[in-house]
Amino acid sequence: MAYLLEARNIGKRFPGVVALDGVNLGVRGGSVHAVVGENGAGKSTLMKILSGVYRADTGAILLDGKAVEFASPRAAEKAGVVIIHQELNLVPALSVAENIFLGREPSRFGFVDRRRMERDAEALLDRLGRRLDPRRAVESLKVSDQQVVEIAKALSLNARALIMDEPTTALAADDVERLFGVINTLTGAGAAVIYISHKMDELFRIADEFTTLRDGKWIGHRAASETTPGELARMMVGREVSYKREREDGGRRNVELLRVENLSSRGIDATRATRATRATRATRATRATRANGRRRLSDISFSLRAGEVLGVAGLMGAGRTELLESLFGVHGTTGESRIVMGGQPLIINDPRQAIKAGLALVPEDRKAQGLALNLDVGSNITLARLERFSRFGFLRRESEERVAREYVERLGIKTPDTRAATVNLSGGNQQKVALAKWLLTGPKALLLDEPTKGIDIKGKTEIYRLIEELAASGLGVILVSSELPELLALSDRIIVLREGRLAGALERSEATEERIIELATMGNKEGGNEEGGNEGDGNKAAHAAA
Amino acid sequence: MKKAETKETETKRRMQRLKSLAATLGERRIGRVKLGRLKPFVGLVAVFALACVFSPSRRGEMIFLGAGNLTDILRQVSEKGILAVGMTFVILAGGIDLSVGSALAFAATLSSVMLMRGGYGTPETLLAVLAAGLLIGAVNAIVITKGRIQSFIVTLAMMSGARGLARLVSGGSGVEIGYGEGGAPPSFAALGGKLGALVPVPAIIFLAAVAAAWIVLNKTRFGRYVHAVGSNETATRLSGVNVNAVKFGVFSICGLLAALAGIIHSAQLEQGNPNDGVAYELDAIAAVVIGGTSLSGGAGTVVGTLAGTLIIGIINNILGLNNVDANVQLLLKGVIIVGAVLLQRK
Repeated sequence: MAYLLEARNIGKRFPGVVALDGVNLGVRGGSVHAVVGENGAGKSTLMKILSGVYRADTGAILLDGKAVEFASPRAAEKAGVVIIHQELNLVPALSVAENIFLGREPSRFGFVDRRRMERDAEALLDRLGRRLDPRRAVESLKVSDQQVVEIAKALSLNARALIMDEPTTALAADDVERLFGVINTLTGAGAAVIYISHKMDELFRIADEFTTLRDGKWIGHRAASETTPGELARMMVGREVSYKREREDGGRRNVELLRVENLSSRGIDATRATRATRATRATRATRATRANGRRRLSDISFSLRAGEVLGVAGLMGAGRTELLESLFGVHGTTGESRIVMGGQPLIINDPRQAIKAGLALVPEDRKAQGLALNLDVGSNITLARLERFSRFGFLRRESEERVAREYVERLGIKTPDTRAATVNLSGGNQQKVALAKWLLTGPKALLLDEPTKGIDIKGKTEIYRLIEELAASGLGVILVSSELPELLALSDRIIVLREGRLAGALERSEATEERIIELATMGNKEGGNEEGGNEGDGNKAAHAAA
Repeated sequence: MKKAETKETETKRRMQRLKSLAATLGERRIGRVKLGRLKPFVGLVAVFALACVFSPSRRGEMIFLGAGNLTDILRQVSEKGILAVGMTFVILAGGIDLSVGSALAFAATLSSVMLMRGGYGTPETLLAVLAAGLLIGAVNAIVITKGRIQSFIVTLAMMSGARGLARLVSGGSGVEIGYGEGGAPPSFAALGGKLGALVPVPAIIFLAAVAAAWIVLNKTRFGRYVHAVGSNETATRLSGVNVNAVKFGVFSICGLLAALAGIIHSAQLEQGNPNDGVAYELDAIAAVVIGGTSLSGGAGTVVGTLAGTLIIGIINNILGLNNVDANVQLLLKGVIIVGAVLLQRK
C-alpha cells in the first residue's frame, strides 16, 4: 500500500551536532504510526521537519508519492500535515470556536460571522464524538478537551496527516481512552496519525507500526503485530558512552546519609514554582499544561549512603525533578513523608532549611533556576554562602574574591576572571559555577538534576570526573539524568520512577539500559489503574490551581 | 546678514566638534562591562556640551555655566533625584514602585500639618514622616510578597491610597508653612535653604543619598542580594536567600527616600500640598532608565541614576533658559527617554 506521507533519507545538522542522519519514515493512511526513541534520539527534529518548522538538509518528503517542500508550518498545514504539540497551542481566553478558526474566521461584510463559526465548530466536534460548547473559553476546559479542540482545529484545516507529540502526558486514564476513540475516528476516515510517546503499554494499544530512532539514526521499522516491547527497548538503547568510570566498585561507605520514607507530595503550587516568570495571559495556557504535567509523588522511599552516587531514572514527567525539589523544600510534602539525615528527622519546607541540613540542589535549568546570569562569576559562586564573606552586613571583597578564585581553579572554570559576567561562559563552565556555588556551602548530599544537559562532550567528561571526585570524598550524590549511559557509568545504585512512584531499584551489577527502560515504561499491571486514578487527582488539583 | 551667517556656521562647527568628541568617548572601551556603565556619562557629557553650545550669553559669559545656574540645576533635580535613587533599588530588584509621587505628597503634607497644626519640632516631625514613608514601602512589600501580586499593581493601588491619605491628613487643601511666632521652627526652613551663598541643602541631601545608595548596593550583602533577586529570583531563592526580606528592604528604602524627598519638597515650597508630586514616579523611573538600569532588573547602577537625573535637569534648564515652550520641553523629554535607551542597547 502506498504511503500517504513519507520521509526518505532525511538528514539535518545543527551547528556542532548531526541531529538526523538517513532517517526514513513511511506513514499509511488510516493507520497510526508510532515513532519511538530515547530523549535526544531525534524524534522531535523529525516531526519539526515533517511539519515545516525546520527544513531538512538532505532527503525528501513525499505526500501521496509526490515530493513536497514545506517552507513554513503554514505551508505544511495547507498541504494537510498538522502537528499537535505537547504544550498545546491555544489562546486560553478565546472560545473553542475562536480557537479552532483563529486566523481563518468566517466573515460576512468584513465582520466575523459568529453564528457560522460556532456552527462549523460544533460540526467538527461532533465528528470527533465530543460535544463541547463552542462558546466556552478554552481555559475553562480540562486538558483532554483542550486537546480535542486542537484536533478539531486540525480537522478544520483538512488535516490528512496528524502528528501528535506525547499527547497523553497530562491525561488521566479515562481521558486517554477518549483520545484513543478520537484517534480511531480519524484513522477510520482515512487520516494518518504519527504518534510519539514513551509509554509502551499505550503504544501497543494504539499503534499499527513502529519506527525506532536512536541518536538521530533510523534503527528499524516493525509492524505492531510482529514486535514486542522488549525488542523495541533493545532497539532504542545501545548508545555508547566514552566515559570510563574511575571509582572502584564498592568504594562507597556504609554510612547512611539520607533516608527518605513514604515521600508524597502535597498539591503542588504551580504559582510558586513559576512566580519568577511574569505571567501574561498568553503564557497561562502553557503554564496550566505544565502544572498538569507536574507529577505528584506518592510513597517514595530510599536511602543514600555517604560516598555513593544514587542514580534516578525515569521518563520525562515521571517525577524525577519533583523528587529533588521536594527534598529541597521547594514543594510541600504530606505528613507521612519522612526525611531523615544523619539519624535526625528533618522538616524541610524551604530551601534555606534544606541548605542548613547539608543539602544542595543544582537544578536542571541553569538559566531559569540555577544561576543569576547577569551577575559575575564570583557573585554567583558565593551567593548561597555570602554571610561567610560579610561582617556587619558589609562584604569582605578580598576574601570573597580569594575563595571564588580558588573554586574557579579547583573546578577548572574557564573564565577571564571572577568579575566576568556569567552569561558569557559556555554551558559546561556555567554548570561548574553552579556546582562551585554549592560546594562552597559544604554540603553532605548533592542533588544534581540533569547536570550535563546541553553540555558538549568535553564538558560532560569534566563534570563526570568532578561527580566521582566528590563521591570519593564522602559526599552522597543523587543524580537525575535522562541519559542512561551516563547514569549507568556513574551510579552505584539506580532507582527508577514511573508516574510519581518508585518502579524499582537496581544495584550497579544488575542495571542495564533494557532493565531501566522496562521498569520506566511498563511498571506492573495492578499499579497501572491506581496510577491512572492518581493522575486524575493531579489534573483536578491543577485545574483548581489554574 | 553676513554676521548672522558666520554665527550660524560657528555654532555648527562647535557642535560638530563636540559630536565627534562624544563619539570617540563612547567608542573607547575599558573592558566590556565598563563600557555600558560609562554610557550614561557619555550622554551626560554630550548633553552638558550641547547645553554650553545653546546657552544664551550675558555680558560674554554663558549663563548656563554660571555657578548660580549650575547649583540651581542640582537643587531643582534633587527631589526627583532622591525618588530616583529609591526607585533604583526597586528596579534593580526587578520591581517597580508607582507610589513614590503620592508618598512624596503624603510626606510633604504630613510635615506641614505636624509643624503648623501639631506644633511639633523639627526632629519629631522628621522622624515621624520618615517612619511613615518607610511604612508605606513596607506595606507595599508585604502585599507584594504575601499576596503574590505584581509590584506594578500593588504600588498602583498605593499610589491612590497614599494620595487619599495625604488629603485626609490636611483636609484636602495645602497647608502653608509659616515661620516666626506660633509657626514652624526655623531649623526646618534650613532643609530647603542654602549652605553659604551657593550650595543648596537639597542638593547635598540628594548627593548624600546617591553616595549612601552606592555603598549599600556595592559594599553590602543586601546590595548583592538586590542584584541577585533582580537577575534571577528563582535561582536566588533556591540559593537560600530570603527573597521576601530583600523585597521588603528595597521597597522600604524606596518609601523612606520618597518621604525624605517630600520633606525637602515642603521645606522648599513652604507648604505641604496633598495634590503635589503627581507623575513624579514617572520622572523617577525615566531617570533610572536613562541612567542605564534595566527595567527587567539585575543590571544597573545608582551612579547611572545620578547621570540620568542630571541629564533631565540640564535639558529642562537649557530649554528654560532659551524660553522654549514648556509643552515642547515635555515632548523633548519623551524623545530623550527613548533615545537614551536606544543608545544603551548598542
